[in-house]
Amino acid sequence: MRTSLALVWLALVLAALAHVVVLARGGLPRETDIMALMPREEQDPGLQAAKDRVARELSSRVVVLVGHRQRDTARAAARNLRQSLVEAELVRPESDIPDEDAVRRLGAAYFAHRTGLLAEDDRQRLLRGEGEVLVKRALSQIYGFGGAVDSRLLARDPFLLFPAFLAGLPNPAGRVSMDEGLPGLVEDGTTWVLLSLRLRGEAFDLTFQNRFVAVFDSVSAQVPGGTRVLRLGAVFFAQAGAEQAMGESARIGLISLAGTVLLVVLTFRSVRPLLLSLAALGAGMAVALSACLFLFGSLHVAAQMFGAALIGIAIDYALLYYGQIFTPRTDPAARLAHVLPGMALGAATTIIGYGALALSPFPGLHQVAVFSAVGLAGSFLSVVLWFPLLDRAPATRLNPRWAAMATWLWRFWAETASMRARRALMAVLALLGVIGLARLEVDDDIRRQQGLSPGLAAQQAEIQRLAGFGQAGRFFLVHGENEQQVLEREEALDERLSGLTNRQSVARFVPSAKRQAENAFLAQQALHAPHLASYRAGLGMAEPEVAAMAAPLSLAQIRASGGLPFLDALVLDDSLHLVNVDGGVESGILRQAALGLDGVRFVDPTGDLNTLLESYRRRALTLVAASMVLMVPLLAWRYGMKGAVRVIVPAACAVMLTPPLLALAGIGFSFFAAMALVLVLSIGTDYAVFCAEDGQRDPVTLVSVSLAMLTTLLSFGLLAASEAAAVRAFGATMLVGVALAFALAPVVARKS
Amino acid sequence: MIRLIVMLVLLVFPAWAETAVLKDGDVLRGRFVQERHMRGFDKPLRTEGNFLVAPGRGLIWRAETPFAVTTVVTPAGLVQSVDGTETSRLSAARLPFLARLYDMLAAALAGDWRGLEGAFAVSRKDDAVSLQPLKPDDPNMPAIAARVGRFVEEVEITKPGGDRDRLVFSDQFLNARPLDAAEAALLR
Repeated sequence: MRTSLALVWLALVLAALAHVVVLARGGLPRETDIMALMPREEQDPGLQAAKDRVARELSSRVVVLVGHRQRDTARAAARNLRQSLVEAELVRPESDIPDEDAVRRLGAAYFAHRTGLLAEDDRQRLLRGEGEVLVKRALSQIYGFGGAVDSRLLARDPFLLFPAFLAGLPNPAGRVSMDEGLPGLVEDGTTWVLLSLRLRGEAFDLTFQNRFVAVFDSVSAQVPGGTRVLRLGAVFFAQAGAEQAMGESARIGLISLAGTVLLVVLTFRSVRPLLLSLAALGAGMAVALSACLFLFGSLHVAAQMFGAALIGIAIDYALLYYGQIFTPRTDPAARLAHVLPGMALGAATTIIGYGALALSPFPGLHQVAVFSAVGLAGSFLSVVLWFPLLDRAPATRLNPRWAAMATWLWRFWAETASMRARRALMAVLALLGVIGLARLEVDDDIRRQQGLSPGLAAQQAEIQRLAGFGQAGRFFLVHGENEQQVLEREEALDERLSGLTNRQSVARFVPSAKRQAENAFLAQQALHAPHLASYRAGLGMAEPEVAAMAAPLSLAQIRASGGLPFLDALVLDDSLHLVNVDGGVESGILRQAALGLDGVRFVDPTGDLNTLLESYRRRALTLVAASMVLMVPLLAWRYGMKGAVRVIVPAACAVMLTPPLLALAGIGFSFFAAMALVLVLSIGTDYAVFCAEDGQRDPVTLVSVSLAMLTTLLSFGLLAASEAAAVRAFGATMLVGVALAFALAPVVARKS
Repeated sequence: MIRLIVMLVLLVFPAWAETAVLKDGDVLRGRFVQERHMRGFDKPLRTEGNFLVAPGRGLIWRAETPFAVTTVVTPAGLVQSVDGTETSRLSAARLPFLARLYDMLAAALAGDWRGLEGAFAVSRKDDAVSLQPLKPDDPNMPAIAARVGRFVEEVEITKPGGDRDRLVFSDQFLNARPLDAAEAALLR
């Protein structure tokens, strides 16, 4: 019966392995977008779609500045870089910089409708009745040095309002201008050429990002001396992040593996326990991968990283089993029978803990939950079904020093003699906890948690400064029943935002029909009627041509010209536009500014994520409490109500003490630390269960548990060395929490 | 805008004429009369005023009649003001051609005409200089004729549309008076 069950399980594991191998032949479908780990808990599907679209638009863009003191060198290097990327089929060949013909078509479309177009400053002046200022400006352009004035323009636009309108159009890259077909700028004698590129692949696709960055690096390494190449784009950040995460997980994984192997071989002085443990681990990994790929279609790097470490806990069961070789029991079935209750209870409580992860709103964590719960169950089954059949180990003597240490720890928590020391320790821990609690600071800023590459962040800042780009990402969504209503609402928003921040709205390029009619009327009433006759007389100018106000300028006409390609990103559809905001104005002020405007919503994805992280940090703490409550019935069934509480106490203390203790070391409390606490609770409860199952305070039990703790610290605790703040917070919490839970665990055996 | 470039270059024509050569630190002062002949206007628009050129620093162009418009061109850009109030500003960082204009100017001062010859066919007979655009159908490219003595004395700029500017320079003195504090401040 046992043998056939073991074989069935083996067949299942092999099938899972085959499934993974078949899928992995074309490269494991992996995802690296850190945002995919984030919640998509938007109530309004339209808003979520708009957010997704903006995020997609931003992530598919790459901006490069190529600078050299020689203009020609900079231009050639920039052209060459673009050409190489196009030839490698990494970026789209079509440029989003309008060509001269498109600009000419745009100018013609505007010029035909000039009667309804006014620069915002001019409109305000005319509203204030300051027409004479505009008269003076026109005269200074006519009589002054240079200037683009000619008789044809003056005959059609006597007060030169049209050039003022064009000059007043918002420029998304405020310091960039066209120089013989290439956009760029000059600063301190260096000519910078701007390349605006659109990717042909997904910025977060691991294969694509590596190919892109490899080609980009090799081409930009070949530029002439003295050339500087600055880069900005999600693809660079994603690639650096993935490279760092993978390098890190490889490094951490290697140290963790080496440490574990050494620990197991030294403890059992045999390779067989190690091989069997690895087999149990491998089986867990195979079924976990297979289940994840089956359920989600792809595997997130973070799920792989955390999940693999979580399965590391599975080795605890192998260690608990093999600890039995230090007892007089030699029959594998008897060894299993002795540890099975603790193991089963431990696995059940741990899976409950991970199940709590699945309740979290983060889709990436669902993967982690499935990956680790399935993996853990797989490893558990492997230990239970395979080990007794393969175990040939004779009874061995436990290392006396280790046994002595274990005995000391048992006694410390049990004997009356050490009562004072126990109380002193508790008092010190409580005191440290209180001091730490006073210093505890929460940190919900997603930008700090992501661990963005500092080199790339510096280049981003330099590009933003040089080109005059604002911070992208924040926007208003303006909704209306039709295009005209949307434009009118944008104009209302524009009035509120004027003077607050730079912004790009469609209405600033194409005023609503209503505004165009108002403009024409205003120019007539406040400028032409009072000033034109005397102005003409002074200049000796013929009667200007009166342009009949035909149909108002429409958005479709301007978009069709191809002269303002970035409008396409602002128009989601006829009834929904974006208004991009840049500059460092606080989100609260912007939100306040739009208060009470119909159909206008402010969207700050980063700010929203920070708010979400905050609420999920709270929710994670609720999860800790919930999984604690969920474990109670199971434990009460085994130990009675009082016993159940006692078994939970060590882990509960570890959970409560860890954040304040880390605060003493200056580590803030974040959502990621809170998620680690969920695991500290379930792992800590495991240890307490293993101890509670031992009636005789056998040093073997504590040695097994300490081995389990050490392997856990080797797999999780090492994450405390990660570069990414989120991972570091997770690791540090595991390190301190699990160590504390272990030290406190023997207390549960006190009364027996 | 090309007109602006050409005019600036013409103001330093002495580098090409045999007599006066402007170098860094020099200050050329003079008076100008500008007549702007435009279609549909009864009479040419006439502006009178004074100017100064300080190689390496910039140009101050002060119209006095019919009203006071001051234009200051420096490597940083172009600023126009009426009665001390700024009416328009173009920055060189936004308009790279302004920066290139200075390269061209510096080159022309050193006797390097390649910058100009890329856009114009330059010819000279006695004291008459003529610049014909190489691309005659470019609506932004004027034709230029100048009379050059010790300094540039007269310039006529004809635009493709038929409008025409005539500039007559007089009372030109090299280094008669250094920059005063207000002028130095404008050119900073």
